[in-house]
Amino acid sequence: MANARALDKRRKSIRNIRKITRTMELIATARYKKAMDRAHAATAYTEQITKIVSRLAAAGLDVKHPLLEQRDEVKSARVLVLNSNRGLCGGYNASVFREAIPRIKQLRDSVPRFHVDASGKRGVDGLGYRGIAIDQKFLNFEDQPAYAEVEKIAEGYLNQYITGEIDRLDVVYTKFISTSKQVATVQTLLPLGSLDEGVETDDNGGADSGGANVDYEFLPSAESILEEVVPTSFKVKLFKCFLDSAVSEQVARMIAMKGATENAGDMIKKLSMTYNRARQSQITGEIMEIIGGVEALEG
Amino acid sequence: MAIRCIIVTPERTELDCEADSVTLPMFDGALGVLPGRAPLIGRLGFGTLQLETAAGPQRYFVDGGFAQVEDNVVSLLTSRSMSVDLLDVGEAEKALELAHEMPSKTPEQMQIKETAVRRARGQLRSAR
Repeated sequence: MANARALDKRRKSIRNIRKITRTMELIATARYKKAMDRAHAATAYTEQITKIVSRLAAAGLDVKHPLLEQRDEVKSARVLVLNSNRGLCGGYNASVFREAIPRIKQLRDSVPRFHVDASGKRGVDGLGYRGIAIDQKFLNFEDQPAYAEVEKIAEGYLNQYITGEIDRLDVVYTKFISTSKQVATVQTLLPLGSLDEGVETDDNGGADSGGANVDYEFLPSAESILEEVVPTSFKVKLFKCFLDSAVSEQVARMIAMKGATENAGDMIKKLSMTYNRARQSQITGEIMEIIGGVEALEG
Repeated sequence: MAIRCIIVTPERTELDCEADSVTLPMFDGALGVLPGRAPLIGRLGFGTLQLETAAGPQRYFVDGGFAQVEDNVVSLLTSRSMSVDLLDVGEAEKALELAHEMPSKTPEQMQIKETAVRRARGQLRSAR
């Protein structure tokens, strides 16, 4: 039987760990709520953009833009991998790598010039460990990514794309679907493909407001507005990726820490049982010894 | 009758208030909006948004984007917006300097530089 005192020590340390994991869970929950609110606030913006695009389309404008068109030859590509800065969030980072690595390998073999950018310390470390060279590192994103910072990155990519330095940009991030479901996905952000799919298609939103029969005045012209809408929608899309990643990270951490707390509870229960048994057997042993001693004296 | 003015940024809804008249900093100059304005979608420049409200005039810096006017509702979509009082002249001047130093060897680079210069100028104008 194990030593009762050693068992008690172990139980105490597990209790402390449980305290820590429970606190982390609570913090993650609070941060998740905040991140979620921000993500909601961003949808107001994307909805408006979608509305404007649908008005432009309703005005009979042919939606065409260099950012929307596939380039015939992809000479140079970039992949941006979004990870967290901190660990202890379950399989969050691992699942992003699982999506990212095959895509990186595939592009590295097929595209002459290829770079990988990473956001988050875990991403930088993980990719480095897998022997993938990282070009740009972004470590400044926590649970509330600032639009100004994302915009800087987005503008960098846009400029590179326009000047022909890159022909393609993929982003690997964790898409937030619901609190119980987040999926790591690879999304090609440049070229954009179509505009509607980017800014979460809200068809009824555009049609319901009765905009179809209102004639809009476009200033200075519909084409000029389109010229501006496309880059903006790219920036917002990238921002959405960062927001989704941040929310998913907090959810993952929340769930991981919840599991850890529960496991610690189970372990404490088991250890308590063994400890009680050990203590009891120790006491019984001592009593037996005393009785034995007494009997020996009497005898 | 008043106009409802909404400023939306990707991070949050910056402003949602009633105003008697709104002056928008458009791409190619200022545009005044009074109640009953015909529907419009326009491209915003970098400049100052002026509101005439019951509480007095209000001024906001707007960092590009779009404006939509419909049914006496003016909604502005912009990447950044703040009250003019929060702008710093020194910072704006520095931004302008930085913009002037950008390379302009190709037409694309020139365009990028031009935008940066215009933004910095707008910021500076609003800050003063």
